[in-house]
Amino acid sequence: MAEVASRLSGADPVLRLVLRRILLSLVSFFVISAVIFAAVEILPGDTAQRALGREATAESVAILRNEMGLHDPAIVRYGRWLGNVVKGDLGVSMVSKRPVADTLAQPLRHTFLLGALVLAIHIPLSLFIGVSCALTRDGPLDLALSALVLVAMSVPDFVIGIFLIVVFSVELGWLPPLALIDQANSWTEALWMLVLPVLALNAAMTAYVVRQTRDSMIEVLNSDFVRVARLRGLPPVRILLSHALPSALGPAINAIALNAAWLVGGIVVVEAVFNYPGLGRLLVEGVRFHDVPIIQAIALILSGTHVALNLAADIATTLLSPKLRTQTS
Amino acid sequence: MSAFDQFQPSRRSLLAGAAALGGSFAFGTPAVRAANGVKTLRIAGGAADGPNSTLDPALTVGSGANQARITLVYERLVTLDENFSAKPQLAESWSTNDVGDVWTFKLRPNVTFHDGAPFTAADVLFTFNRILDPALGSRAVTVLGAVDPAKIRAVDDHTVEFTLRQPVVEFPLQLTHRLASIVRQGQTTEQLKTTGIGTGPFKVERFVPGEDPGIFVRHPGYWQPGRPGVDRVEVRTIPEEAARIAALSYGQVDIVLELPLVGLQRLEKDANVKIDTTRSSRWFGLAAFSDTPPFDDVRVRQALKLAANREQLLKAVTGGRGVVANDLPVGPWQKFALQTEQRKYDIAAAKKLLADAGHPNGIDVELHTFNGTGLSELAAAYKAQAEPAGIRINIVTSPSADFWTNVWLKKPFVTTSWDATTVDDALTLSFLSDSKWNESHWYSKAYDQLIAQARLTVNEEKRAEILARAQALLRDESGTVIPFFVDTISGSRTNVKGWKRHPKLESQDFSGITIDG
Repeated sequence: MAEVASRLSGADPVLRLVLRRILLSLVSFFVISAVIFAAVEILPGDTAQRALGREATAESVAILRNEMGLHDPAIVRYGRWLGNVVKGDLGVSMVSKRPVADTLAQPLRHTFLLGALVLAIHIPLSLFIGVSCALTRDGPLDLALSALVLVAMSVPDFVIGIFLIVVFSVELGWLPPLALIDQANSWTEALWMLVLPVLALNAAMTAYVVRQTRDSMIEVLNSDFVRVARLRGLPPVRILLSHALPSALGPAINAIALNAAWLVGGIVVVEAVFNYPGLGRLLVEGVRFHDVPIIQAIALILSGTHVALNLAADIATTLLSPKLRTQTS
Repeated sequence: MSAFDQFQPSRRSLLAGAAALGGSFAFGTPAVRAANGVKTLRIAGGAADGPNSTLDPALTVGSGANQARITLVYERLVTLDENFSAKPQLAESWSTNDVGDVWTFKLRPNVTFHDGAPFTAADVLFTFNRILDPALGSRAVTVLGAVDPAKIRAVDDHTVEFTLRQPVVEFPLQLTHRLASIVRQGQTTEQLKTTGIGTGPFKVERFVPGEDPGIFVRHPGYWQPGRPGVDRVEVRTIPEEAARIAALSYGQVDIVLELPLVGLQRLEKDANVKIDTTRSSRWFGLAAFSDTPPFDDVRVRQALKLAANREQLLKAVTGGRGVVANDLPVGPWQKFALQTEQRKYDIAAAKKLLADAGHPNGIDVELHTFNGTGLSELAAAYKAQAEPAGIRINIVTSPSADFWTNVWLKKPFVTTSWDATTVDDALTLSFLSDSKWNESHWYSKAYDQLIAQARLTVNEEKRAEILARAQALLRDESGTVIPFFVDTISGSRTNVKGWKRHPKLESQDFSGITIDG
């Protein structure tokens, strides 16, 4: 496979990296889907029993099982699902009978919106804190900010979420506790509801980027070209923004991409805390009912995003590092 | 088709950020909401049914939100009042013959469905023929087992006659079940699932299984004058208890159907919130297989009952929100409930019974439970109380999603909870030898016979006497410890008027609610 990739891409290392990653991720999708299917299969109880719950009778379970096609052996059901996916058909939810693609559309939009907002805050905020720490290296501000972001990272995100609800909604009454965005009449109201979840997720993500930015910034600020720029009498702001920062960005961008990849999974828990109708909630319900097509589709989206973001991080690193960029194999 | 056909994160939208999504983003229906004077009632239930939710009354499962939706859209021939007696709804009156196997219902005239069609006997026939068709897979086949669908007859447009397979002296009470909600004739199962047409105070505007909220709007042709009191209802689920409390307290919802039993101190102090506590027939208890050692000896089962300190259990599990029970599943305030001496916590007597049964050193048993509804707290508190009697309990906690499916009815000693409506249901759903849910494997011929006899006795005095004997037997010999009944607890904003939580989730009436301000 690597051979195919290299023939296709010629000598361009970036293109080769991309192609190889895409091929590898197709293989990993296949493995992931098989593992998920097997895992759901060995859980006790089947979808029909789950759907009927305590009120199930033998007759109603048998009828529902029949409707859901659960009488076929597991391998046949997996084959049928896989065959459809290859054709681009994600199938229908076993429980609601709604097409998976329709079922996913709204939660996916919601999760994407939340993720985009989190990153929109995350990137400038963590870079700003990182640079501030570097500029006040080992001073009180540096120590205070570094400690704060480390503490925020160490506390689980759902605890932070509940803490924020208690403080800002229950005690102070400033912000709505739940992100029931269907209740919003305008974008402003929707954004207002998303303040707490965005804060909770940022708390968990900031430390890593801050550390990376701080360290590489300190390194750059001590380097010869910055010293030369200072000696030439350039204004400090200009040195910082047009000379030091761009050189220090490499590791930070990599850290941000990895954070974004983490976010794809981390968002699931925070959605539950704020009752936000995104992919996380859909996934929890899918697992509860052993609704294989739903679980599989969400797993594909989550792992696909993860792979894509890791790939983006690698490409960014390759492009920003001359050594890797010009290397031939 | 893939998910990305609906949602294409193009480069442009990624760059433009959230704003670019605006076009495809739905915020409910802002126009309606913002319009002057539109009153919206926002209801929140607990556990999410997700994709499993449906508006088809015959196929609903019992979550709060699901049942609320059913009562918004549909009505039944008969409903339950707060004391669990039959109350007319779509039937104005009813009568039976001497034996109780032919029942005639007079239907209310001038009732219209959401589509404008008049409600007639044909709709009743359609509804019952549909839910009793075994191919549908509805639980109605069990609950309404006495009804022979071939023998339901429209006497005229507004009179229906049911000829039952055997007499059922309390038949109208069976019709109060949500499964028996009347639907407009001719609807398919597919239609009923998301767009059902009923005679209820609200009609469906938007309902998608798994997507919150379901939206319902006023039925302009509703038969009760002056109702409904609001224009629009939104029903959603908030699975996390703390989140439900926060949403009510902040005012994101107007009514929370299910509140937890404990941890309500903050809400109690909130001037904008009212907590509604209603007595109910829901009991918590422990069920032991009466055919499995060591519980196969009736003395061991009696020892289990004597080892429960009921007042303490009630306090520990519910914070005192409920009443002590006497190992009987019928609410003490219900008609036909056996009034007898309260069983007390008696370690010495329990010890002696165990010794007589051949366990002088006590017994070691596993008690299965799950977290989330107070049953695990019951298990923990009971374990401590029973220990001195020599009943040493090892608590096994399973995931809540698994408990009712894979543990209950399969393990010999479990925590359980029931919420029966009629006295007959309370005494039979889990206690007859051939009950599907005979969770204590109690096979008593004498009890079965008494129940069968009571079911044929139209005379209420005689029936009470037979039921008293059956209950005495159940109290002394069954494998079920019933220490207390729990109240149902819900909450509402104080500007919500005309709302009283019915003890049964499936018997709510939202039509009289108005919202101030």
